[in-house]
Order: sequence, then C-alpha cells, then structure tokens
Amino acid sequence: MMEKLYLVARIADTRVALRSRTIHSVVTVGQPVEVPAAPPHVAGLFALRSRVFTLIDPHVVVGLPPVAVAQGQRVIVVDVADHGYALIADEIEDVCFIEAPETRIAGRLSPGWARVADAMIEHRGASLLVVDPAQFVTLPVASAA
Amino acid sequence: MDDLLNDFLAETAEILAEAGGAIVAWEADPGDRERLDAIFRFVHTIKGSSGFLSLPRVTALSHAAEDALDQVRRGNRPANAVLVTAILGIVDRLSLLCDALGNGGVEPAGDDADVIDALAFVSEEPAAPEPAEIRLRREDDLAAELQAWRSIRVPLPLLDSVMTGVTDIVLARNEFARMLREAGADPSTIATFDRLSDSIAAMRQSVSQMRMQRIDKLFAPLPRIVRDLAQDLGKKIAFSTSGGEVELDREMMENIRDPLIHIVRNAVDHGIEPLDQRVAAGKGVTAQLSVSARQSGNQIEIVVRDDGRGLSPDALVAKAVAAQVVTATEARGLTPRERLELIFRPGFSTAAKVTSISGRGVGMDIVKSNIEKIGGVVELRNEEGRGLTIILRVPMTLTIISGLMVRAAGQYFAIPRGAVREILLESSDSVRIDRVGGGELATVRGEQFPLLRLETILDRAVDADDDADDRAVVIVRPGQGQSYALSVAAIHDHEELVIKPAAPLIMATGLYAGTTLPDSGRPVLLLDVQGLLAAAGVDASEAGRNREEAAETEAAARGATQLLLFRDTNQRVRGVRLSVIERVEEVPALALFESAGAIQVQIGDDIFPVHAATLPEGHGAVKLLRLHDGRSVLCYPIEAVIDIVRMPDAMQPSAAPGLIAGVALIGGDPVELIDPFWLMEQYETARAAGAGPRRPLCRLADDADGWGENFLAPILRDAGYRVASDGDSGDETPDVLLCLSDEGDICANLGGDVPVIRLRASAAAAGADDDTVYRYDRQALLDALRRRVGGERR
Repeated sequence: MMEKLYLVARIADTRVALRSRTIHSVVTVGQPVEVPAAPPHVAGLFALRSRVFTLIDPHVVVGLPPVAVAQGQRVIVVDVADHGYALIADEIEDVCFIEAPETRIAGRLSPGWARVADAMIEHRGASLLVVDPAQFVTLPVASAA
Repeated sequence: MDDLLNDFLAETAEILAEAGGAIVAWEADPGDRERLDAIFRFVHTIKGSSGFLSLPRVTALSHAAEDALDQVRRGNRPANAVLVTAILGIVDRLSLLCDALGNGGVEPAGDDADVIDALAFVSEEPAAPEPAEIRLRREDDLAAELQAWRSIRVPLPLLDSVMTGVTDIVLARNEFARMLREAGADPSTIATFDRLSDSIAAMRQSVSQMRMQRIDKLFAPLPRIVRDLAQDLGKKIAFSTSGGEVELDREMMENIRDPLIHIVRNAVDHGIEPLDQRVAAGKGVTAQLSVSARQSGNQIEIVVRDDGRGLSPDALVAKAVAAQVVTATEARGLTPRERLELIFRPGFSTAAKVTSISGRGVGMDIVKSNIEKIGGVVELRNEEGRGLTIILRVPMTLTIISGLMVRAAGQYFAIPRGAVREILLESSDSVRIDRVGGGELATVRGEQFPLLRLETILDRAVDADDDADDRAVVIVRPGQGQSYALSVAAIHDHEELVIKPAAPLIMATGLYAGTTLPDSGRPVLLLDVQGLLAAAGVDASEAGRNREEAAETEAAARGATQLLLFRDTNQRVRGVRLSVIERVEEVPALALFESAGAIQVQIGDDIFPVHAATLPEGHGAVKLLRLHDGRSVLCYPIEAVIDIVRMPDAMQPSAAPGLIAGVALIGGDPVELIDPFWLMEQYETARAAGAGPRRPLCRLADDADGWGENFLAPILRDAGYRVASDGDSGDETPDVLLCLSDEGDICANLGGDVPVIRLRASAAAAGADDDTVYRYDRQALLDALRRRVGGERR
C-alpha cells in the first residue's frame, strides 16, 4: 500500500506528487543561514533537532528566479546519500493514496522540469508530475552563464 | 543467532588483531610467561565461542593452536620461530574464515590441514622438560575472563544516536536558557536550571569520552606487519610502541590507520638499510623502529622513528627532477627543508625501484593529504645517515574542535583555532595595510602577509551595519610554511564546536570544511583555511619572506623548543618545556590520595607521585601534567592549559635552584618557568629513600677540622647514606665508621664490631697492604662503603 502514498504539494509554482517513501518529513523551517558562493539553488542552511539541513530552492532548479525564504516556510525534508536536504514548498496540500497508475510523461516539458520529473499521475481530475526529490539535489544546475 | 554470530565476529576480529602483536612480542622474548598466557587465552576464548556456535573449522584451528601453546606452557616444547610462524598462519586463516563468515553468514567448507600440520612439533633435539616450569595458572585465566565482563559492546549507530540526542538536549537547553533570561525568571528557578545545565554539560563530556578508544588498537597490527616485512626483506628490526594508553576518537583512528601503516612500511622497506649496509655504516645489525603516541592539549602526536639511513636531500632533488616533479631551476632555489618536503609532492616515490611492499601507488602525498583532511599535520625530522622521524599531529577528535567565531557580511563563520596564529585589530598600531598593485598586504611587526578579505572571497558585500573599528585581522597558518592574513568584520568568541560534514554541493565550493551548530542553535559554516587560499589565488608560502624565514631558521637552531603555558593551581601562569610533558591527564579528584605524607595519584593500574602539598578539595576533575624523564613519571597538578608557545631566548634565572628555574617574558608578561630537573630530583630522591629498606648510617669519627661534615657528608647523603658526626649523640649503632685521620689509634676503640674505613690525607698509598682510602678519591670511597654495607643507591 505504501507505494501508493503520495505527498501532493506545490513546488516551483507547479502542483506535483512526491512518492512518500522518498520523503523524510515535512517541517517548518527556522531562520536559515546563507551559504556564500554556493550553487544558486542552495538557499541556505537551517538546523532541525541538532541536524543541519541544506535548503534547496526548486524554483532555481527548474529555471525560475529564486524566491526569498521566510521563517515559518514549509519544507520537504529528504535524505540523499546520508545528507539532509529540504526543498522549499510553496504549499503543502495533502498526503493521500492515489490509486491511479503512474504513466509516461506525455508532452514536452521545460528542460528544468524534464530533469526532475519521472512520470505523471491522475489525481482528482488533474494531471500531476511525479518528481524525484533527489534529482533536485544531485543534478547540476544548468549553467546559463 | 545472528546477534551471537555478529558478537563473535566482532570479538574475534579484535582478539586476532591483538594476538598478532602479542605473538610477535612473545617471539622476541619467549621467556615472557605472561605474554604466552595471554596468547593462550586468546585462542582459548575463540575456541570456546566457536564451539558454542558450531563452527567446526574455527574450532579445529583454535584447538590446534591452543594445544601447541599449552605444550609450550608445560615446558614440553620450545617457543621458536617455526612455532610462531605456524601460529601466525593459524591466526591468518582464522581471519580469513571470519571475513567469509561476515560476508556469507556460514562457515565456508575447506581444509585447514596445511596450517594445522605446520604446527606439528618437530623436535631436532629432545628438549629436557623442566618440571619447575609446569604451572597452569588457571586462576589467572579465570581472572582475565572476569575482566572481560567489565565492558560491554555497543553498536556504533546507538552510540551516535546518543551523541545526537545529547547535542539536541544541549541546544534545547540553550534555547531554554535564553527564554528564562528574557522572561526574567526568579532566582530559585534559575538555580535549578543551572544545576540541570551542569549535569547536561557533564553528560556531554561523558558521551564524547564514550567515542574514545585507546590508541593501542591502532598499534596492535603493527608488530606483525613489521615482523613479516622484516622477514621478507631479511632485515632485523627491534620494534617498540609506547603511549598506547592515549585515547583518540574512534573515527579519527580510522583515518590515521592507513597513513600510519604506510609510514611504518616505508620505514622498514626504504628507511632501514640492509644488514651489510648497516654494518658498513657502523650501526648495530638490529635496527630500532619505534612508534609512540602522546597527548598534548587537544592534539595527539604520533611519532614514528627509525635509525635507518634517513633522507638524502640531494638524492631527493635528483629524483624529483628525474620524475619531473620539479624543474632543475626550481630545484636549485629550494631550501633544505623544501628539499625534504619533496617527498610529499604527488608523483614522487623515494624508492629507486618500486617494490612490492610499499610502492603500491600510495605515496607520502596521500599520507599527507589524508592527515590534513582531518585537520592534522605531518612533520619530518631527518638526520641523514642516522634515521628519520615522522611526526603526525592530529586533533584528538574529528568531530569536536575548538573554533574561532568571526563575522563577515552579516553572518558568522568558524575558523579552526589550530590554524589561527594571531588575532589583531585592523586599527591596531602593529598592523599596517598597504594596497599593492591591486592586492593587499598586511605588515605585522615587520612580517608581511598577503591580506584576504573574507567578504571578497565569499563574493559578498561588506555589511553596512559593521563597525569599522571592529574589523580584525586573523593571521592564519593553513599548513607548514604558509600563512596569510584574513580580514573579517569582527571577532566573536571561541567555542568548542561539533563539526559535521556539509552537503557535497557545499563542500564542492572548496571554501568550507563542514557545518557546525554552536550554542546559538543557528548553523555556522566552518571555513576551509586552505581552500580560501586557493579561491583567492594567492601564494601564501612563507619562503622568500625574509624575516619570517630568518625566524624559522633561528627556531630550528634552538631545536624549536616549545613551552607549555598553564595556569597553576594557585592561579599563577607558569611554563614548562613541552618535551618533558608526556601528556595532560584529567582524573577525578578521588584518584588522588595521601600516603606516607606524600600525595599520589592512581591512573589506570599505575601509581605516580604528585607534586602537591595537600589533596585537592571537592570532587571535581583534576588536571595533571604528566612529566616523564624517560624512566619515571611525576604528576604536576594544574588549573588549565593556556597555550603552547615558542621558548623565549632570554630567561632571568632564579637565584637558587628550586621549582622555578627562572622568569621569562612571554607576550609581554612575566611567566615562571618550571625546572623539571629539580622537580624530578625531589621525587627521585624521595622514592629512593622510601623504597630502600633503610638508609645505612655512616658515622664520621675524628672529624676535627669539620672536613667530614662540610666536604664528605653531602657526597654520602647524595649516595643514599645517613651521616652522623662526632657531635651527634645518637644511640643508633652505625653501619659503618669512617675514620678521618690516619693516625688510627683514636678510631681503634670506637670500632667494636662495626666495619671501619680509614681515610688518608696523602694521595699515595703507604704500602701494598694499606687498606686506607685517599680522602679525595670519591669512587674508591663509595666502593669501599658499598663493600662494607652494600647500601649505595643505584
């Protein structure tokens, strides 16, 4: 049953579904600390129960301008290769079972989204992209410059 | 069942590592009964547990080894190289089996007859059994097994989770403390909170200690490695380790293991000459190789010393040029020290030909970078033709370092305290900053440093809120022979920091060495002082900065004597030569006790004298400097270690010998320097006096002109005698009578049955049968005394 459990959220201005097993938790961020000279999608560091997490701004990953992080912002915590990361979420909608099968992505996505999206899924009359949070972290950011 | 097997494997791996070293030590001294018993217990334990888990091959192997060792214990079989090699063969096979067990979970099928048969006793000449040697010592075995119960095995993840838990508690406490302060809580609440706070601090301390392991573990495989290698190469090596009780963070230990083994292998393979060359060089056939550890402050120093051929700077240069590591022009400009450090260059190999033993593509450059990765340094002390000493200096824990918090661009950063040489305000008179061709240069008391502005490197604007008067210059020394000045907006404070690695994409910037959560609860980035340099693209090498170089050479000439500054228990700042300090010990006050009017301390299984007049008050911890003179140890209680500084040139000596050798100026303040010679002497004499059965009494007879009292008595007292003169009306019968006049008649009636030694005033003996001793012949006099009473010290 667990593989049917999804987190539905709006990240980088887009509604997406994240497979629940890829996610550690959803938390509220404290005041983040900047990391000078880090890649542009690193929005900072914040501490949560003695662990330090790296904040990732999905906007930058998909090619949008970065957003400012406010205290109290909700973030999606994921573990990638033993390090903790948090994706900034515009909005957390729901955690729910989606019975519909994952389908191949139809249509052409922007290069940014194409990198992070795995599949599509139907949920309450809308098509959602299924994204792999690890891709937001590990993928090199497109070097526009 | 799986748990049992895992426990067995963990325990066996530990035993086998220890056994290898013990067996080699035993081979060197087959008469060492205790060692033999220990090895016997090792295999006995493995046999016992494997039988329980039904691992027939392991049982058979350990049984065979146990059998052979038991024969030796009973004196039926001599301990020789053949036996030792065979036992080592069994140990190796056991390790193999354990690896297979760990991977597959089942004992692989196979035949061990080859190694077991190697154990078979071939007696060339039937050794006569010595009945006196038949002792089984079963009680000891039992005691040793009981010992094992006093420790338990804990899985590492559990330990780490305890560590994380405690860190969480500390952070919550800090948050809570802030809230209490802001809310203006009443004193009783604050008092209770402080108590809680103290116990949390104590707990944090204990937890970090739980991660510590004795460095013994790191040393355990070395004797075996040296033995095997020496045998392969046909070299004779006496290998020794010391300082095994020094403790080190477990993770740190993992990081040192390979570099250390590599250095030891190098020493055996390249450093120590073949037998014929040693003989030709006038050295003993048996080479000396030693590995020792000691703690100084929160650093551990591991010293690998050999008496081999050392490094030849000229040969190094020639090889480096041949290997195209440096160009010939570059090579000519190198200082002697830089020539030595060529061995740390990538692509350099000291061996004329790459041997199978140490030339496996891992060079000293890897050793150096591995040690530097964990915040350590590698140092060389070369005596060409006489040996090489390699010193690894590493922080005691990987995770907790002392950090300097600085501010730049409106946020905090940490700098490892170990890399900070000096901190100065930019506005200070001793700092001058010049703009030179687009770069900046800081001149501090005549020394020049390239100046890096932290905001510039981090590509951030200077925070407008910063007060220009706060700007400070931190003189950073990222590694040997490099230094630069780092300009920051402000210095905050020092903190003990728990360092965690940052995410790879942050580490990739090369600017940061990790993240840490200070007591404020907000993450702080630890700066990579070497990386900053690379990012700024500045050459920070000190070579060619004349003044600095001059100072270096001067320091080298003085043997780079270092001084440990500490605060005495009476709050005075004092210093002592670092080289006499074995380590800094922290013991509970209860470990100190008074016995026979002297304060002593129990550390582990040893009791050492303590230089203190009274027992410390309270039940806290006591810090002790452990002074070591090569033979004995003396503990000196202190309040806190302050710093390690270079020994100043000038010292105002004390008028009379005593605890304080003199006063020196350090950083403008007078510091009393301890005289370790005097200190050790006090306890050495006391020990000799206390340990001997009774100091013999020497009576001086006919000391008319006081020569005996003034000239002779001090020598005698030094030699361990008590002295009584004519005037003393003691009723104790002297052990010997010293007759100071050669007339003889006066002493004749005094003697009775007490032996008499007559002294004469003339250097020449009166005749062949003259048994008098010339009174200025010290050695003859002491010899005569020893013959009569046998009470001389030493």
